[in-house]
Amino acid sequence: MRFKVGIDVGGTFTDFFLVGDGMESIIHKVLSTPADPSIAVTQGLEELAQALPTPLSLKDFLSAIEVIVHGTTVTTNATLTRRGAKSALLTTQGVRDALEMRRGIREEQYNNRYTNVVPLVPRYLRIGVEGRLDRKGREITPLNLDEINEAITLFKKENVAAVSICFMNSFANPAHEQAAAELVRREMPDAYLTVSTDLLSCIRFYERVSTTALNTYVGPLLDHYLSQLQMRLKNAGFHGVLLIMQSNGGVMSPEVARKNAALTLLSGPAGGPGAGRAYAATHGLNNCIVVDMGGTSFEAALVVDSPVMVNEGEIDRLRIALPMLGIHTIGAGGGSIGWIDEGGLLRMGPQSAGASPGPVCYRKGGKLPTTTDANLVLGYLNPDYFAGGRISLDMEGAQRAIEEHIAKPLGLSIEEAAAGMYRIICTNMAQGVREITIKRGSDPREFPMVVAGGAGPLHSCLICTELDIPLQIVPRESSVLCAVGMLMGDLKHDFVRTFISRLKEMDWSSLGDVVASMKKEGGNLLAGEGIPATRHQHFIKFDCRYTKQYHEVSVVVPEALIAARDVAAIAKLFHDEHNRLYGYSLEGDPGSQVEIINVRVQSVGITEKPQRRAGAYAGSDPSAALKGQRKVYVFEEKASRPVPIYDGAKLKYGNRIIGPAMIEMETTAVFVSADYDCVADRFGSLAMYKKGREDLVADTLAGDKA
Amino acid sequence: MTKIDPILLSVYARTFKSITDEMSISVVKTTRSPILCEAKDFVTGLYDAQGNMLEQTENLPILAFSLAPVCKYLIEYFGDDIHEGDVIFHNDVFSLGNQNNDVAVYKPVFFEGKLVAWTAVKGHQADIGGNVRGGYNPRATEVWQEALRIPPVKVYEKGKLRKDVWDLIFANIRLDIVQHDLKAQMGACTFGARRMVDLLRKYGLESFEAHKIALFDATQKMMEAEISQIPDGEYSGEGMVYFDGHHDGSKFTIRVNIKVQGNQITFDYSKTDPETSGFVNGTYTSSASATILTLLQMVNPDIPHNEGIIRPIKIIIPEGTILNASYPKATTFGNHLCPPNADAIIRALAPVIPNRVTAGWNNLLCSLTTGFDQESGDNYVDINFMAMKGGSGAMNGTDGYDHIGMIDASGGVLDQDYEMFEQQSPHLLVKHEYLEDSAGAGQWRGGIGIETEYVVGSENTQLVTFGDGDFEPAFGLFGGHDSILNTIELFYPDGSKVVPKNKDLILGVPKGTRYHHIAGGGGGYGDPKKRDRAKLREEVRNGVISAKMAREVYGLND
Repeated sequence: MRFKVGIDVGGTFTDFFLVGDGMESIIHKVLSTPADPSIAVTQGLEELAQALPTPLSLKDFLSAIEVIVHGTTVTTNATLTRRGAKSALLTTQGVRDALEMRRGIREEQYNNRYTNVVPLVPRYLRIGVEGRLDRKGREITPLNLDEINEAITLFKKENVAAVSICFMNSFANPAHEQAAAELVRREMPDAYLTVSTDLLSCIRFYERVSTTALNTYVGPLLDHYLSQLQMRLKNAGFHGVLLIMQSNGGVMSPEVARKNAALTLLSGPAGGPGAGRAYAATHGLNNCIVVDMGGTSFEAALVVDSPVMVNEGEIDRLRIALPMLGIHTIGAGGGSIGWIDEGGLLRMGPQSAGASPGPVCYRKGGKLPTTTDANLVLGYLNPDYFAGGRISLDMEGAQRAIEEHIAKPLGLSIEEAAAGMYRIICTNMAQGVREITIKRGSDPREFPMVVAGGAGPLHSCLICTELDIPLQIVPRESSVLCAVGMLMGDLKHDFVRTFISRLKEMDWSSLGDVVASMKKEGGNLLAGEGIPATRHQHFIKFDCRYTKQYHEVSVVVPEALIAARDVAAIAKLFHDEHNRLYGYSLEGDPGSQVEIINVRVQSVGITEKPQRRAGAYAGSDPSAALKGQRKVYVFEEKASRPVPIYDGAKLKYGNRIIGPAMIEMETTAVFVSADYDCVADRFGSLAMYKKGREDLVADTLAGDKA
Repeated sequence: MTKIDPILLSVYARTFKSITDEMSISVVKTTRSPILCEAKDFVTGLYDAQGNMLEQTENLPILAFSLAPVCKYLIEYFGDDIHEGDVIFHNDVFSLGNQNNDVAVYKPVFFEGKLVAWTAVKGHQADIGGNVRGGYNPRATEVWQEALRIPPVKVYEKGKLRKDVWDLIFANIRLDIVQHDLKAQMGACTFGARRMVDLLRKYGLESFEAHKIALFDATQKMMEAEISQIPDGEYSGEGMVYFDGHHDGSKFTIRVNIKVQGNQITFDYSKTDPETSGFVNGTYTSSASATILTLLQMVNPDIPHNEGIIRPIKIIIPEGTILNASYPKATTFGNHLCPPNADAIIRALAPVIPNRVTAGWNNLLCSLTTGFDQESGDNYVDINFMAMKGGSGAMNGTDGYDHIGMIDASGGVLDQDYEMFEQQSPHLLVKHEYLEDSAGAGQWRGGIGIETEYVVGSENTQLVTFGDGDFEPAFGLFGGHDSILNTIELFYPDGSKVVPKNKDLILGVPKGTRYHHIAGGGGGYGDPKKRDRAKLREEVRNGVISAKMAREVYGLND
């Protein structure tokens, strides 16, 4: 037997998803070990070996694993808690404070108590050196190597462990950066080094210096962590391939990850969208919205053929200008606390009770009412069957907290107050979905929603009602969606070069050289990761804008159009995208020219995807899975009433459930509201469709006729 | 009468906010003038059928309360001649506009054939006609020397472009990008209108009308609760304005008398100096906006910005004063009377609410260059946003924020990216750094100011300066020290030095000139000797406070 394992290290749980030839896939969770996350990883693998249909020793199990894909939040946590490496910055004389100034923004304009973020490099370790290139990369002042040597002397004296190099206009000519790098490598051979144009060769100084400094700050930690993990795995008998999850939804080898640590900064939720797409594909759909609701945060992402990418993001108010999945995170989860603001309006979150003290009903000392407490009061959670019956929930405590903090101040009953909390948290999440759809020019009504996370399927019906979304899919592996996604990720490497030109005046042969050099670089990386050339693909994007606009729109440009030098067709792609995003284009406007700012290449190495096992069609009758009845709040009716409860583990392909109903599984619960019905698909996932819209799941209802 | 659902009320509030935020993103992403897409000198808003503010996203707070009065004026002006598909432009400062360059786009929103709401975007245009490119004409004495006046005018009627009107407007504006930027503003209004109709379709007009009123009331209650915390009484303060653009040595005083009575507050500017003969004059709207934004910095920042927040506030500014110029005075500098206006308010209230006020903020001193970029073959306009942003004032318990600029922006205006600056203008940036000892000392120090230097890259460059803060620094409070002054100096290649006045027009600046600019820090709060020693040592090590200042002013002995 050969296995593949996806391992997702989260703040509370480390999730495992195991597939093997011809066997049912296995979901597993262990508590995370933040001090050394690799402990939980090996512990979980040990437990997985025992959970196999034919249990194996850890050694035999590991030696049978072909691929481990690993998602880690080591870099994310180090940044959030400021426990990264002691790092320094070499930059151009006169601009060393750009990193700390962040272009002079105060995000909360009316809040005079709001303070700036602590910079990753203190000012005395940010050294500006003489040497200057102009906007076209022509040298105005030669690089002063003596000043670099002086800086190195200071860095050594200060025990600096990691160095960033980022010079003005280096995107147009990396010579000064490379010369400085050579000196640093020679004098500080043990230091971690990031050269801005190696990481991100594109225009915009602040974006580049911020991204470079982040990479340097977390690089040594990731390097250390991966070394430890590789050693532990190897000693335990693993000889397969280890791959690391990236923020762009792809995976990479540990060697690439070590050099480009910043690529992992927002990789935590990056497995989800790719996995969500696979579940949507069961129903013949290439597009979907993927949401994941956990204890403290709610993540939403959009898939249009493939997960939608953005070219920049932020962590702790620090800019990362690397291509990544456009995942929007808001503070809404099971632990979100309900409160009344000064004007008497009910609000939910962003404060969260988290895992500690947790919701009131967990009996761990929480005093303030949370989403989970409201869910319990409304009947969505079974007080005796939470986490598979391992935790018994405190109904009275939840009621008391809601009464005191919400119901009394608003003059509502406890149930009305709990329903209000439920309503508001769903409105917040619906807004989160708008961020990734409407704000980016897509209509949410046209996308099915794939719902993940322990708390997601309890809220999705109301979120979808708010947004008018007729179809939801709750994956069988909903509670470990990211780990599933890791096994579906391809190797992905992104490259960018600034190439400023009007489309009509393009020097096509230089452009061809730039594209070819990025493709070659990507091909080399993939070859180094063991992917044969037959499985390489390269995608080209231009960042375009109308001349004198300041912001670019990224458009995918087929290589054939570049080969044909088809200016009109490329311009059309841009006009259409601009129109889609912003409601207008200037196509046909004689005064408007299109210019290109950056050229991007994404090199993809296609990996083998695990195959899922389809079940046999068992007819529409779900009665074999019926467990009983419970009183549950039906929001469409604004009242509670008994609804049937089903055991999710016993539902079979084709079983059809009429809402309102509850479906309980070990790691999640699903609420099918009055306006929705539900059918189990051939892979054991649940499709919830608006009543009367059987057409959306006709194939599944009919047993896929295959 | 619809029953108010407290839950639905929260849903409305959240949705209004997300609508104006989305409109704002749309403007940032599609406009061309860096004043809009980089500095975000615009505001987006949502109003009810009567022009009451439902919500707004003010990127630049000075614009915060300038849209609703005009919306009410438009409704009166057009009466029953408002139709679906209309788009209205407005900038006129003598019909409640705040600044000539700030052109507002209004779009009425219809639902089931009835006018139910308005969306609007007001943005600072790169040019607005008048005598000087860019709109800042320090020599102006009348509005026509500053700008094209646009009283309410329909550029679209019932969905049809009025080409003749459009052409008339843009025949009087120099730069093409203004057309495109106003199209982008219209796009954002359309976006907002669609969302508003979706909302009404879901909940119905009756529910919307009832909940809107409840929302205003809830917000008013929050604001009144904040005002109640200010002790009753009358408090006075002054702020100084230096130089009217015409008379060397001229200076003017803004005088405010603040009366707090229970949960109501009145700002009375009756004793403020008369208007000037130049362009250093406010309009009622910009001056009242300045007053409100200063007050809002002293209260809970989470109160929603709708009609309810301004109900407990009364503002009296007699016409003919420097804060409310009479027809047809020049007024382009009016928005920049916000800092001295804020100074007056802070000075008045500091003794009674010492823990809610900041010390003085760095005042604006700014420059704008225009010329021809030989290499790119293009004309350029650059407002040097990065150079004009000094530090904010300290408050009890919190240092000032470094480099976020004057109080009327409060960190909403972003620096140009350095490399984009060099792409879009021919200048070469030499320095843009925190300036040592620029912050007012104190137990809580002011925000740090900055020093900027660049080499002018075009021949025959035109430079306009506008601002203040070169006569009087940001003031300290309760033993905190003042900061340093703003300066702009030009070092010509022939060795001569030119120091522009704070409102000036300099022609023919030669290529190779070194432009040098200091934006001072904010004022300090409390005795510097009480400043945390560890923090101080760190600041000396980081070179933002000199060893000398640490020793002599802060009393650091080691």
